[in-house]
Amino acid sequence: MSATTTKVSFFRERIFPILFMFIVTVVFITAVSGVYLSTQGTIKLNETLFLKRAILFAANIPVPQGGAAIEKVYQLRIKEVKDSSGAPKYYEVMDANGTELSGYVVYGSGPGLWGTIQAVIGFDKGLEKLTGVDFIKQDETPGLGARITEDWFRAQFRGKSGPFSMVREGEQSTTHQFDAITGATITSTAVRDIVNKTEQNVKSIISN
Amino acid sequence: MNAALFPFAIFFAAIFTNNILLTNYLGMCSFLAISKEIKTSVGLGIAVTFVMACTSLLNWLVYHYILIPLGLDYLRFIVFIIVIAAFVQLVEMIIERVSETLYAALGIYLPLITVNCAILGAVLFMVIREYSMLTGFMYGLGSGIGWFLAILAMSGIRQKLKNARIPRGLEGAGIALIITGMMALAFIGFTGMIKVS
Amino acid sequence: MAKGKTKKVFLSDIGKDNPVFVQILGICSALAVTNVLKNTVVMGLGVMFTTAMSSFTVSLLRKIIPGRVRMMVETLIIAAYVIVVDIVLRAFVPDIERQLGPYVGLIITNCIIMGRAEAFALSNSPGLSLVDGLASGIGYSYVLLTIAFFRELLGSGTIWGYNVLGSGWTNWSIMVMAPGAFFMLAIFIWVVKGLVLKVEDDAAVKTPVQTPAKEATA
Repeated sequence: MSATTTKVSFFRERIFPILFMFIVTVVFITAVSGVYLSTQGTIKLNETLFLKRAILFAANIPVPQGGAAIEKVYQLRIKEVKDSSGAPKYYEVMDANGTELSGYVVYGSGPGLWGTIQAVIGFDKGLEKLTGVDFIKQDETPGLGARITEDWFRAQFRGKSGPFSMVREGEQSTTHQFDAITGATITSTAVRDIVNKTEQNVKSIISN
Repeated sequence: MNAALFPFAIFFAAIFTNNILLTNYLGMCSFLAISKEIKTSVGLGIAVTFVMACTSLLNWLVYHYILIPLGLDYLRFIVFIIVIAAFVQLVEMIIERVSETLYAALGIYLPLITVNCAILGAVLFMVIREYSMLTGFMYGLGSGIGWFLAILAMSGIRQKLKNARIPRGLEGAGIALIITGMMALAFIGFTGMIKVS
Repeated sequence: MAKGKTKKVFLSDIGKDNPVFVQILGICSALAVTNVLKNTVVMGLGVMFTTAMSSFTVSLLRKIIPGRVRMMVETLIIAAYVIVVDIVLRAFVPDIERQLGPYVGLIITNCIIMGRAEAFALSNSPGLSLVDGLASGIGYSYVLLTIAFFRELLGSGTIWGYNVLGSGWTNWSIMVMAPGAFFMLAIFIWVVKGLVLKVEDDAAVKTPVQTPAKEATA
C-alpha cells in the first residue's frame, strides 16, 4: 500500500461519513424548516380559530362557517378579560347586539386518563346554569374517551346546573345528570370533576 | 392524589393499566418476531427497558433545555430519533469494550431497538402529556418493564404452543396476535386499580 | 422491460409480498388508528407519501451513502418527510391531526418504510423505488381500511362518523379498544392466508403434522 492510498482510505473511512451526515442533515433540516415557516401563519391561525370556536360553542352562540365569519361573531359578542400579566382570565359574553352582558365563559381543567383535559365552560349571567362545554385540549383514547368532543356530549350540558353526577349513556333525566360515554368511564369521570370544580369556583374567578 | 406520588402512580400505570404494548400497540414488530423463545425475550426485554428509561430522560432534557428555548419544537421527531440511535450506538460500543459476556447476551439486540416504535413512542407520549422530568423517567422505565412483562408472558405461552396444532392460516403472526389480544383483554382488568390524578 | 418490472413490483407489494399480512410489518399503527375510519385514511395517505418519497430519496443517494452511517441517513430522511406530513396535516386538517396524536410521529418507526429502504431502495433505481414505496403504502392502506371499516362499524355503529346501524345497536366496545384490534388483524391474516393464499401452502407442505406428538413427551 502506498502512502497516497492509505490517505484516501482514511478520508473515505472516517471523514467522508461524518461530512456526508452533516451535509445531509443540514439539507433536510433546511427543507423542513422551509415547510414549517411557510405554514406557520396558517397553523397559528388554526389554533386561534379553534379556541374561538370553542368559546362560542360554550357560550351557546351558533358557530358560523369560515374563519372570517367566526372572527366577526367573536369580535361582536365576546370580550376578553385579562389578568395582571395579560393572559386571558375569562370571557364576557354579550347579547346578539353586542351591548349587554349575557353570560360568561371560563377555563376549567383537570387530569384525564392520559393527560390534562382543558375545557371552556359557559355560564349564564346569574352563574346558575351552564350554556355549554367545549374541550380545547384532550389526549384521550380515540373512539372512546375522545368522544367527549362529539356534539351530543358537549351540548348535553346546556341549560343544566351542578353539582353533576354521571349516569349510563342515554339515561339522563334530571338537570343534574349527564350521560357518560360507554367504555370511557375514567374520561367521563374526569369531565364530571372538571365541570363540578369549575362551577364551584366560577364566582371567585369572575369577581377577582 | 398527592402530587409527590404522581410519578409512582404513572410508573405502575405504565406497567399495568396503560401498558405500552397491550394498550398503545407500540413495539409490536420485534415483539412478534422475538417472542418465540423465552431466553431471547428476556435479553431483548432488559435491553428495551434500559434504553427506554435512559432515552426518556435524555430526550426530556434535550426537549426542555434545547428544543423549546430555541423554538425548534417542530424538529423534535428528527432530534429524538437521532438521540435514540446515537445512544444505542454508544451503549453498544461501551458494552462491546467492557464486557464480552454482556455483549454476547445483550449486544445483538441493540440494533433492533433503534427501530422499536415503543422507544420513540414513549418519548412522544411523554412530551404530549407534558410530564415532569421525574415522571417522564418513571414513565419510560415503567413502559419498558411493561413491554418486558408482555414479551416474557408471550414467549412463555408461545413456547408451550410449539406442541399444539394450529390452523395453517394462523401459524406465526396470526396466533400471536390472538394471544396478544387475550392478554390485552386480561390487562384491561387492571383498569381502575390506579386512579391517576 | 422497465414497464413489466414496474407492474411486477407494484402487484407483489400489494399482494403476495404485502407488508402487513405477509411481511408482518407496520403493525403498531395498523392497530392503533384503525378504530376510526377517517383517521385510518389519513394515516394511510401519510404512510404512502412517506414510503414513496423516502424510498425515492434513498435510491437517489444510494451510490454515495457511506456504509457506516447508512441507517442513520435513512432514519434522517424518513424523519424529515414525516415532519413535513405532520406540519401539512396541522395546517390543513388540524382536527384530524389532533385525533391522530403521536401516531403521525410514529410513522418514522413504521418498519415498512425502513424495510423498503433497506431491501429495495438501496439496490434499485429511483423510479422503481418510488413505485415500490407507493405500492407498499397502498398494500398497507387497504389492509388497514378493511380492519377499520369493521372496527368502527361494530364498535361505534358508524361509518366515517355517520350512524348507520341505528339506535337499536349496542356498540361492541371491545372493537374500539386494544383487544378488538389484535383479534381483527389476526382474523384478517387468517382469512387471507387461509383462503386466498391457500394455493402456496398446499404446494409447499408435504410432510405430515405428526411430529409434534413426539416432542410432547420431552
